[in-house]
Amino acid sequence: MSKENKTAANIKTEKAAEKLSRRNFLKSTAFVGGCTALGLPAAGALTGFFSAGAAAAGEKSTPYVLAAPENQIYSSCLQCHVACQTKSKIWDGTLAKITGSPYSPQNFLPHIPYQTSPRDAAPIDGKLCTKGQTAVQTYYDPYRVRKVLKRAGKRGSNKWKAIPFSQFIDEVVKGGKLFSGLGDDGHYPGFEEVIALRDPKLSAAMAKDAKKCGQGKMEIGAFKQKYKDHLDKLIDPDHPDLGPKNNGFVFMAGRIEHGRKEMMKRFTGKSLGSKNAFEHTTVCEQSHHIAYAETSGHKTHHMKPDLVNCEFVLFWGTGAYSANFGLTCMAEKATTSKVERGMKIAVVDARLSHDAGKADWWLPVEPDKNGTLAMAMIRWIIENKRYDQRYLENANKAAAKADGEPTWTNATHLVKIIDGHPRELLRASEVGIGTEKQMVVSRNGQFVAVDPKDTANVVEGDLFVKTEVKGTPVKSAFQLLAEQAFARPLQDYARDCGVALKTIIAVARELTSHGKRAAVDMYRGPVQSTDGYYSGCLVITLNMLIGCMDYKGGLMKGGGHWHEAGGKPGNVYNLGKLHPGALKAFGPKITREKARYEDFSLFRENGYPAKRPWYPFTGNVYQEIIPSFAGGYPYGGKILLTHMGTAAFSLPGGNQQIIDMLKDPKRVPLFIASDIVIGETSMYADYILPDLTFLERWGMPHPTPDNATKLSKIRQPVGKPLTEEVTVGGEKMPICLETFMIAVVSKMKLSGFGKDAFGPGMHLTRMEDWFLKEAANIAYGDKKGEAVPAADDAELDIFRKARRHLPASVFDEARWQKALRNDEEWRRTVYVLNRGGRFAPYGSNYKGKYIKSQIATMFNFFVERVAKQKNSISGKYFSGVAIIGGEYDAAGKPLARTAAYPFKIISYKDPIGGQSRTISNYWGNIGLQPANKVLIHPTDAGKLGLSQDQKVRLVSQDNPKGRLELKDGAGRVIDMIGRVNIMEGMRPGTLAVSWHYGHWAYGSNDVVVDGKKIGGDRRRAGGLCTNPLLAVDPVIKDVCLSDPIGGSTSFSDSRVNVVPL
Amino acid sequence: MQNEHQFEESVETADETPDAGRRQFFRKALLAAGSVTAAGTLAAKAVRAAESAAKTSAAPLPAPQSYADGSKLERMRVELLQALQKPVAQRKWVMVIDQQKCVGCSSCTVSCNAENNLPPGVVYRPVPKEQVGTFPNVAWRFTPRPCMHCDNPPCVPVCPVTATWKREDGIVVIDYDICIGCRNCLASCPYNARTADFGDFFGRGTPEVMDYETRPNFEYSKKWVRKPGSHASPIGNARKCTFCLHRIRVGVLPACVTTCLGGATYFGDYNDKHSLVHELIGATRVQRLKEELGTEPSVFYLV
Repeated sequence: MSKENKTAANIKTEKAAEKLSRRNFLKSTAFVGGCTALGLPAAGALTGFFSAGAAAAGEKSTPYVLAAPENQIYSSCLQCHVACQTKSKIWDGTLAKITGSPYSPQNFLPHIPYQTSPRDAAPIDGKLCTKGQTAVQTYYDPYRVRKVLKRAGKRGSNKWKAIPFSQFIDEVVKGGKLFSGLGDDGHYPGFEEVIALRDPKLSAAMAKDAKKCGQGKMEIGAFKQKYKDHLDKLIDPDHPDLGPKNNGFVFMAGRIEHGRKEMMKRFTGKSLGSKNAFEHTTVCEQSHHIAYAETSGHKTHHMKPDLVNCEFVLFWGTGAYSANFGLTCMAEKATTSKVERGMKIAVVDARLSHDAGKADWWLPVEPDKNGTLAMAMIRWIIENKRYDQRYLENANKAAAKADGEPTWTNATHLVKIIDGHPRELLRASEVGIGTEKQMVVSRNGQFVAVDPKDTANVVEGDLFVKTEVKGTPVKSAFQLLAEQAFARPLQDYARDCGVALKTIIAVARELTSHGKRAAVDMYRGPVQSTDGYYSGCLVITLNMLIGCMDYKGGLMKGGGHWHEAGGKPGNVYNLGKLHPGALKAFGPKITREKARYEDFSLFRENGYPAKRPWYPFTGNVYQEIIPSFAGGYPYGGKILLTHMGTAAFSLPGGNQQIIDMLKDPKRVPLFIASDIVIGETSMYADYILPDLTFLERWGMPHPTPDNATKLSKIRQPVGKPLTEEVTVGGEKMPICLETFMIAVVSKMKLSGFGKDAFGPGMHLTRMEDWFLKEAANIAYGDKKGEAVPAADDAELDIFRKARRHLPASVFDEARWQKALRNDEEWRRTVYVLNRGGRFAPYGSNYKGKYIKSQIATMFNFFVERVAKQKNSISGKYFSGVAIIGGEYDAAGKPLARTAAYPFKIISYKDPIGGQSRTISNYWGNIGLQPANKVLIHPTDAGKLGLSQDQKVRLVSQDNPKGRLELKDGAGRVIDMIGRVNIMEGMRPGTLAVSWHYGHWAYGSNDVVVDGKKIGGDRRRAGGLCTNPLLAVDPVIKDVCLSDPIGGSTSFSDSRVNVVPL
Repeated sequence: MQNEHQFEESVETADETPDAGRRQFFRKALLAAGSVTAAGTLAAKAVRAAESAAKTSAAPLPAPQSYADGSKLERMRVELLQALQKPVAQRKWVMVIDQQKCVGCSSCTVSCNAENNLPPGVVYRPVPKEQVGTFPNVAWRFTPRPCMHCDNPPCVPVCPVTATWKREDGIVVIDYDICIGCRNCLASCPYNARTADFGDFFGRGTPEVMDYETRPNFEYSKKWVRKPGSHASPIGNARKCTFCLHRIRVGVLPACVTTCLGGATYFGDYNDKHSLVHELIGATRVQRLKEELGTEPSVFYLV
């Protein structure tokens, strides 16, 4: 035994203790709120290192209490949007461990029967990924904000003071010279000022007429005359179609899931009358959703392979082992199918993902050439007649049905070519064989009218048709696709996309060798680019060529869920309707999404190009919210409320511009951030509204489509709330987003929250008034007579005891019961709460060779809606046929490239990382990998003379110095510096950097609260966030590159250089 | 079925835990008798005998009933409960890891950290990840590496105080109350399965050490509380994977097994010829790490 060792251990422990005690002096009540009374021993106690243990032996024998049902609560995760079902284990009031729930097929396969009692389920643990398990550390983050913070310096100065919640509500409602104490005489608008239109009837009338003005169906003068007493309520009386001043309130949510999402929309739209409630989707994978929506005629926006029965799956820029939707529910299906059933896997990715490294084929595509690779496969499949001809010739539902096909396509439908552009589907009325609603196919040279939804008359058509109608060229949709595919030889495609021709052919052959038991899966990989929609459509086209949708082993939309928001016959509360006095919000959203430029008065005045792009096909255009708000197009914003999102950090490019906008009260007049910590974006806010983590609150997330079983998830309070307890309307509750919404609406005496919010005698004064009604809807189900059993007394006892650690401000059984009508509703609701949701039996997923929950619709090779729309900047038509796109600016011009920036760059998600919010998870993000690295191939590293782990600075055309100025008053600059990881599993010429690191806030930096310095934890600043390097759109100039159709932000169209340090 | 998991912490569960006093007796006697190394081995044998005798007030276990046919986890849980009905000496716990199914997610590592409330620097189940091959023919290889629970554990004889030994059911354990933190065992393990607990906390350098770090862990069916500034065990001790002995005793599978996202980790009683692990070990692709050292690991890999 070595004495030195013992001493070394001793010293290390003492140092740790010393650091702890020093830090302890820096406590501020704004952060630490009585979670732990940390008693540190006097220095003298640090002797006798080895003496302590033995005495206690024998006394500390303990049963494993975490396996007792009274110490477990079932809920749903939110470390990512997969929202796994969890079982949280609580020791003496402390959240000890989170595992997967055995009740859910997402986390236990096959899952246990729903009727299994929580007592029998208690010793059965399910799966959960690292992110979910480390959520213990998200909840117990020492940098959690506990009280409302008001800035005590200029925006971004990291100086704060804690203020009472009631003062905060007063100030943001009234507005005024809110920061006069800082010598700032500026006026800050409050809700009283911004929410100008408050009369429900008037809002409905104005909305109707304003729309007419936009479409040119009502003179603006006539509108002004009709509403002459109310023009002060409008943003601009000369453009009434822009809506009321209420639109100046913008609710910008990053992650907001069902339950809370509907509450946000109720608050923003119906209580405050603003159109501007947003989620983050375009920064994630929106173009993929839009590609699915348009190709499926809006029947779905998300499909996944049935991995349990697939024989071949092609993962395109995604997989089952790292991220996607998501690894916990998909990984075992893929590994079991691969190892035990011989399923084959191919992966398209410029980086050797875990999936690619375990696959049968890796296709290391050039990251901007996904469309090219897909087109190469399409060409080979068409050329070699490997498509399912019989399936594709079915022109309507009747034909599909006759063949036993759940879906069909418009491959045979004829399209008119106008001015060289495939513009519109040919209608039967135009060739005198039917109505305007019928399409036309050609069969053996004869035109045949077809109604796509006709279930009686079988119509089939020829795939390759090229003809003329009254001088107008006409082609079949499939002909148009084939012409695109045959435009260039296979060798050219292979060279461009960087994948060996033999590999392309091998994978295309494999895809077409398993009948319907093969599928192509994608998520964000191929679509976060300026041509994201088109690339997404091309990937979906591969599925359409084999017609695998709705087949066991093919592609499916998932098993669906019971509805929580109400409106179904079995539901007991229709929450959407339970809103007397709701306002009618109108005008375009500030991002101009789901709106045609041509339908607004601005278009008739200005024509093309629009000042900023309009997005008719997509929604939640996250990157446009702040620049539009600050830039005043189509109108300026007044109050920005951000929630669980961090635009300055997460957006790919334009980050400096966003910081500059947020810094400036003239452009962003009032900025409130709802956050659990002081984050990279919330650090610029005027006020930080502390939120609860998902472990302390409610939610009703929806299932993921890779799972064929019907299920409904419930998120519910698990841990004691760590935010301050406040009183609102006489009720005690922890500060959080719901508390804020209740307080603002109650104070302003608006509708939808507070006393009688749902109707006479039905209050929304506490958050469970909302969420328990949703849980009751799930318990009763969509159909009458499908309610779950009522919890018996034994189950109620478990329910009660499992919540014994929660304060009355969260769990008060009598108060919870009052949110529902009667004991029967209560007990059925307890039954679903005791299981964290509702889950159909495993094995109820299939019907013979089909998926039970079918989409059963027509898929579009030609999307007429897109073909008829023009780009709002260039005024040129979009393509209704999937094409190889390219890297374009907002006006549709190819991006300029220079030799100074030779590297392509991509980002990816590590299995341990969840967006911007997992750096507090010490077991995962910091414990397993303290920093991310710049992945680079050895040949590139060799050319640059780099050695393993060497530091490099990344620079780009839009960020030639490779830095980001935080403008925090202290001159802090974030350098785009990281260490390289030289690896074979990286496409030469491309760099990859994962996305969870490089924090400049979120507890990584020092802040001052109430005059005391709170020291940041530098471990949380490790690694690099490459977003500030990525390209800014050269036309719009203050926002990243974007897909004009799907709206996705571009993560793969930028070029960078590597400077060795 | 009876209620086997008591709500209040009043039940003695440690069926096979040798009484500390008795073990202390053997240790002292043997230390007096001869060399440290020999003493370790002999002590282990002596303790095994004591363990068999010590089967007393076990809490009732759940019935070995599967709630989900077709679930390998449920099959393993039932087999675990069946094994628990046998005397300790007739059980032989083994783990099987299918590397073709391991997806490198590290969920096992973190699950173990959370289950055992491990501090910075202490890891029971790392998953080394390496790339094999050159572009574009490259593969990932992930090798989860828990304690091998060797039949000839090199860590046992080097312990000067017989704080570590191999139980009759195959699990190599450490008695934190005896361990003096010399770290001889760390150096002797060819698998780097052991790490030292230096008393660090994730909350170090932050405004507060939070509750989860100071809640007890339940290793060896005891409460172990780590507090900043304290040096009570397990601070100062050698630490390693226990096959989640505290969980398996009450019929719950080890944490790494239940959370394995790829379904790659299996656990069970090798003495049960009908068990899943017995079936898997019969596969042609079975291997153990560093077989040539003669350590006879209880962890098998399917490659």
